[in-house]
Amino acid sequence: MTMSREPSRAPLPLLINQGSAVHRSLQIFGVALLAGLAILGSRTNSFQVGLLTEALIYASAIAGLNLVTGYTGMLSIGHSAFFGIGAYTTGILVSEQNWNPLWTFAISFLICFIFGLIVGLPALRIRGINLALVTLALAVAFPEIIDRFPGLTGGTLGLNVNLFQLLPPHWTGIGIQNRFEYYYWIAAFLLALVLVLCANLTRGRTGLAMRATRDREIAATAVGVNLAWIKLFTFGISAAVTGVAGSVFAMYLGSLSADSSFTLTLSITLITGLVIGGVATVVGPIIGGLAIIYIPHWTEGLRQGQTEGLFFGTILIILMFVMPDGLMGLLTRLSRHVVRVKPRAPEGTSRAREGLLAGQDRSATPDSEGKGDTTLALS
Amino acid sequence: MQLFLEYLFDGISNGAIFAALALALVMVFRGTGTINFAQGEMALFTTYIAWGLTTKNVPVVLCLLIATAAGFVLGAVTERVLIRPIERRGLLATLIVLLGLFLALNSLDGILWGNQNYSMPSLFPNSVSSFVTVGGARLYWANLGLWILVAVLVGAMFQLFNHTRLGLHMRATASNRESASLSGIPVGRILLLGWGFAAAIGAVAGILLTPLTPDSLGVGEMFPILIQASAAALFGGLDSPGGAVSAGLLMGIVESLLSGYVPAIGGQLQEAIAFVAIVLVLLVRPQGLFGSKEVERV
Repeated sequence: MTMSREPSRAPLPLLINQGSAVHRSLQIFGVALLAGLAILGSRTNSFQVGLLTEALIYASAIAGLNLVTGYTGMLSIGHSAFFGIGAYTTGILVSEQNWNPLWTFAISFLICFIFGLIVGLPALRIRGINLALVTLALAVAFPEIIDRFPGLTGGTLGLNVNLFQLLPPHWTGIGIQNRFEYYYWIAAFLLALVLVLCANLTRGRTGLAMRATRDREIAATAVGVNLAWIKLFTFGISAAVTGVAGSVFAMYLGSLSADSSFTLTLSITLITGLVIGGVATVVGPIIGGLAIIYIPHWTEGLRQGQTEGLFFGTILIILMFVMPDGLMGLLTRLSRHVVRVKPRAPEGTSRAREGLLAGQDRSATPDSEGKGDTTLALS
Repeated sequence: MQLFLEYLFDGISNGAIFAALALALVMVFRGTGTINFAQGEMALFTTYIAWGLTTKNVPVVLCLLIATAAGFVLGAVTERVLIRPIERRGLLATLIVLLGLFLALNSLDGILWGNQNYSMPSLFPNSVSSFVTVGGARLYWANLGLWILVAVLVGAMFQLFNHTRLGLHMRATASNRESASLSGIPVGRILLLGWGFAAAIGAVAGILLTPLTPDSLGVGEMFPILIQASAAALFGGLDSPGGAVSAGLLMGIVESLLSGYVPAIGGQLQEAIAFVAIVLVLLVRPQGLFGSKEVERV
């Protein structure tokens, strides 16, 4: 591979400078493409719109999970609980307190952020395995706790939100029979917001600190990363993002039951989606969300719960072996043969920086910096 | 007194099961440095196998032996085929693979044996009248047999760890894999055996536990047990077999007494209690009661 990349002979990959006109227009094209696809999606029949809405909601939830598991490298098996906490926050505020559902999102964000901090706190001690254990226990305990407080949550009977409180407001011009279109757009806007948030968060200083924490904790500390703060903050934000996705889910579904919607299986499904789409990529969660909704839908025989579980479990194992970077990782690797974004050199140190990058280009391992570059072009 | 003893007997039985599974978790952790999320599902799978054999009129003792052997193979194959190749890619990859295995095995149980619950015949006399009276409380043979068998099993494992060549190799591998390998210990084979033994212990635990309650063999049986066993393993210290066993026993007894005397928090909230226990242990003493502090070299 290194042989064919001598600049004089090989026309590919094309080099694009970060921030150049070409790069900017590619980025704008990418955003326009996604927006176009979103509009196309809303024009399908109401059943398809429903499925897409679910996929978008799960995509947001996966994007939240991606922050902690993908970028920071700590496995969370408890995101079903945060999804559930968000959903129940919205459900309870709307049905008991007559809140406008949209206002509840902020509360969900806040509550899940705080819960994330509480759950993340013990996990900071020593090893990544602790977070996995705490979150596993959380995922198993969550439905039990919900069932224990039937006065607030409806218990095993579930929580039903009055449909009239979830209808689209007048200014949207969407009638009651098309209400799923309204939820679709809420889910789409949320996803856009979440992706922008994640992209900005992971691209800057915080993102570097997150990756450093994931790749080598001790080295990260040595260069001044505050491990405890990064882990805790990431976990809080991650829980909050997934929680808001849960809020939209509550709006979309209108009735909540912890035993069927927010179990450990959901957590594993989210992780599967993340791995399918590609860990530590910005666009991966979209693919992941679509995959976990549409794969069971298309393969009709898999729709009974058990077979779906066997399928997702097996897929998860196989993917970790053959395609650990997921679809986005694969696309990124392939696209690097065609197009490469050359990062802008920081002011003042351009020579040293370029020397460093040239060295990195030759390294065989797909490093996180390289991934980030191409994701820029695609998002 | 009678009531107390009955709670205590129940607690010891549950505790023995937690102890056995916690020991299995610790064995895997010492070898591979990961929690085997699928430990409970492996135990459940082999319990189903044993149950399936009992319906074919195979004697229960034989079922136990076959299922234990099946458990050993399951654990060993998992280590060799799934864990060893993925391990060098890091903890996250290993945990995700184990999570996949957890989901796949659980769903496979449901596909093979359906979603209804079954009752499992016991190794020991297990009718309504097969008990001895101790201090006015009933001690069923099934419970007593379970205690003895788990005690024998745990004793045998400790004998193995501390007084055999294989055990020495296991301890060496747990303490420093590279040095062990350099001293000529077949580390791969040791890890394989460790996983195999762990899954075999789980198989015995599942087969002993299930007959205690009618209709308890179902796809959801092992979720809570695994969580409680993990809490016990963490409490005792993830790298300490003795700690895991005593913590498991303690946890079973405390939980049984709690749910007996304080119905508001016990019984319905067992998993929540385990969760709180895990959080507290990690906050207060993350290396557990008997575990050693992790020291990392730079």
